[in-house]
Amino acid sequence: MNITEIKSEIAGDSYYKVEHPSGLTIFVYPKEGYTSSYAIFGTRYGSINTKFSVNGGDIITVPDGIAHYLEHKLFESEEGDAFVRYAKTGANANAYTSFEKTCYLFSCTDKFDESLEILLDFVQDPYFTAQTVAKEQGIIGQEIKMYDDSPDWRVMFNMLEGMYHNHPVKIDIAGTVETIAEITAEKLYEVYNVFYNLNNMVLCVAGNVTVDGVLKVADKMLKPCEKKEIKNYFETEPYEIKEPYVEQTFPVSMPLFNLGFKEKADKPLNENQLACTDILLSALASNTSTLYRKLMDSNLINSSFSYELFEGPGYCSVIFGGESRAPKQAAEMIKQYISDIKKTGIDKEDFEIARKSVYGDSVSSLNSVSAISNSIIDYEMQGNEIFTYIDAVANARLEDINARLAEMLDVNNCTLSVVKQPEEV
Amino acid sequence: MNFINRNEIADGVFFTNIKDSRFKTMKISVNIVVPLSIETASENALVGGLLVRSCKKYPDFTVLSKKLSSLYGADLTSSLSKLGESQVLKISVSGLDDRYSLDDVSIAKELSELLCSVIFEPNVKDNAFIESELEQERRQLLDVIDSEFNEKRIYAMEQLIKHMCKDEVFGTKRYGTAEKIKAATAESLYRAWQNLLKTAKFEILYIGDSPADKAKEVFTKAFANIERNVATSSTDVVKNVSKEKHITEEMELSQSKLVMGFRTQISAGDDEAVAERLMCAVLGGTASSKLFNNVREKQSLCYYCSSAYDSIKGIMYINSGVEGENLEKAEKAILKEIEDMKNGEITDFEIEATKLAVVNSFKSSSDSVSGIENWYTGRIFNGDLETVEEVSAEVNAVTKEQIVNAANKLLLDTVYVLKNK
Repeated sequence: MNITEIKSEIAGDSYYKVEHPSGLTIFVYPKEGYTSSYAIFGTRYGSINTKFSVNGGDIITVPDGIAHYLEHKLFESEEGDAFVRYAKTGANANAYTSFEKTCYLFSCTDKFDESLEILLDFVQDPYFTAQTVAKEQGIIGQEIKMYDDSPDWRVMFNMLEGMYHNHPVKIDIAGTVETIAEITAEKLYEVYNVFYNLNNMVLCVAGNVTVDGVLKVADKMLKPCEKKEIKNYFETEPYEIKEPYVEQTFPVSMPLFNLGFKEKADKPLNENQLACTDILLSALASNTSTLYRKLMDSNLINSSFSYELFEGPGYCSVIFGGESRAPKQAAEMIKQYISDIKKTGIDKEDFEIARKSVYGDSVSSLNSVSAISNSIIDYEMQGNEIFTYIDAVANARLEDINARLAEMLDVNNCTLSVVKQPEEV
Repeated sequence: MNFINRNEIADGVFFTNIKDSRFKTMKISVNIVVPLSIETASENALVGGLLVRSCKKYPDFTVLSKKLSSLYGADLTSSLSKLGESQVLKISVSGLDDRYSLDDVSIAKELSELLCSVIFEPNVKDNAFIESELEQERRQLLDVIDSEFNEKRIYAMEQLIKHMCKDEVFGTKRYGTAEKIKAATAESLYRAWQNLLKTAKFEILYIGDSPADKAKEVFTKAFANIERNVATSSTDVVKNVSKEKHITEEMELSQSKLVMGFRTQISAGDDEAVAERLMCAVLGGTASSKLFNNVREKQSLCYYCSSAYDSIKGIMYINSGVEGENLEKAEKAILKEIEDMKNGEITDFEIEATKLAVVNSFKSSSDSVSGIENWYTGRIFNGDLETVEEVSAEVNAVTKEQIVNAANKLLLDTVYVLKNK
């Protein structure tokens, strides 16, 4: 078994990466003096993986929303519900499905070994029958409707639909009431057997834990898997956006907007590119920035304003969003500002402030066992490592930030999405 | 946790230091507590926003933000909450612990001084706040009110409280009303600020590894010049229901919301408060609760269905998202779960699982700065400084009989439905 220690001089922390003989990659991040622990077990399988092949075989297409449906159903086994088993250890358990991964997690203060056994056991033990699969249609149907009523959710998906021609990132993670009606027990087993292979998965544990303690449970519970060659297919996505403007009416008293810049996404960003992008966006749009000030002084945004880099397999964009009484004007001001700053570049003082701010945030995140584990699993699935990222932030240079600025944020390639109250008639 | 040290540094001003070396960050929170009142709530809310916007030393929002960012992304925030019938205005700073500074700056020292200066030396001129600053804050606060309507879960909850407590001080929102926000002036806010310094109770919490002496000294000095006359607040706990209220509102939505409010007849400080908390958690506070398992999982009637206990006000809430056509069924199913509890239909497994989950969440809170802050802020308002272990022991000692007794005191007061058209 290959165990590597990964250290950070700056943060004074270290953690361990284990290549387990079962095929699973395991991370253990002990936090001295902590009473709680957090474990997350994830697979590289999310809502966008609806077309794939295994070991060079035929391309298989599955219904939208199946990854999320599978997440719900995996909690059941022949012996009963995993939540009932967790109830005996007191752990707080949950799961989520995102665009590119599905994760099962728990946090606890006592009986960690028992809870980890439950986690590893139920995720490796699928049990689907026609009856149990049918039963879930109701709950998931209601979950889909709940999101239909969320203006924040709608404004983002409308934007993704406006931005992407083909990439499945534009499809709601839970699918639709129609697509989930096509899901059967056979289909769930089919995707399970492809993607829930330990070679395609990551376990990360942080808190009041030791490598030996975790490996003892892992050795007992993990069932060795033969490595499979999984290939995911996404239709070719043009560089250009599909629509510059999309709008939906909704009972809201404050209109919402998302302005998304479509970025090239041929390969995932590495730690250095991520660090530069985060510093760049902070200098550009955080509350210290000239842009933020201009938007505020013009009453075009309020404190709900935010920005993010939104990236995954085959998609990448930068999203600015928030509440605004005049979303179109807000978007125009952002685009104008970006055009202007592309000519001059970010100045030294703004860069220094942004670098310190991003550095502080990244070190602060190492306080929390959940934030640590979630970040490590995210970074690993993208082929990155968290301490390398923090070092890249601390050592970032202005010229690299300006080089990033030059290659992103094309003001002629962005989509504005607005959710607002219907006009009075 | 290493130690807790608590002193009264001025009349009604308490400084609590919780020293802990495990974290990368430190935090200082100043809780400014006044009786909730529809007359003053909006002005106090505006003052909170203005204080963290700028101050004498950093007289502009961008200048202040840049100062914070260059202190490694430190945060200065104000937040507003309602604790029973007290309004709590919290102003806090948090930032990296000095060990992680990339230069020689003491972040803790800088932040202590900054926090003190925003509270005591605001950006004022001729006994008034700056007009343009006020207009920005006023707009922000009015936007917050409007955005509550966007999130229907929050809106439904606010509507329930509005109807249920319409004759009580508790019916006042934490930020008062839009009318009062619009009526406030730069001068009236200056007076409101001075009034807070004179009459509010102050609870200052310092959590971190670096010594708190400097911060304590700065605050002690600042209060030494102020003539204090502290206004105490109390909360009226209503223990009867003359007539159940049912309110339905219609809106263009795909899902309906069903919210219920119960008088518990038990509040913080009562011997039965811990049993009440556990009763509420058995009913709908965990993933093994009755509402989650029976109403959501077995009957598929709600996407979410949970209960929460406000111990200070003595109210229990049930919150659920329901298909319009299932509203009646869901309400009946929820009330049936409560009836079952009143009749003692609670298994040992349900009680044990709930105790484990509650104790687990208590203990987990001691592993984060904000968890520690919330725990001790809650304890201080409860009138004791009990530790996680002490309260956990009380939870574990609760019997089934006590839970059944607590359930039998529940009185349904108001049902609010936000129905999809």
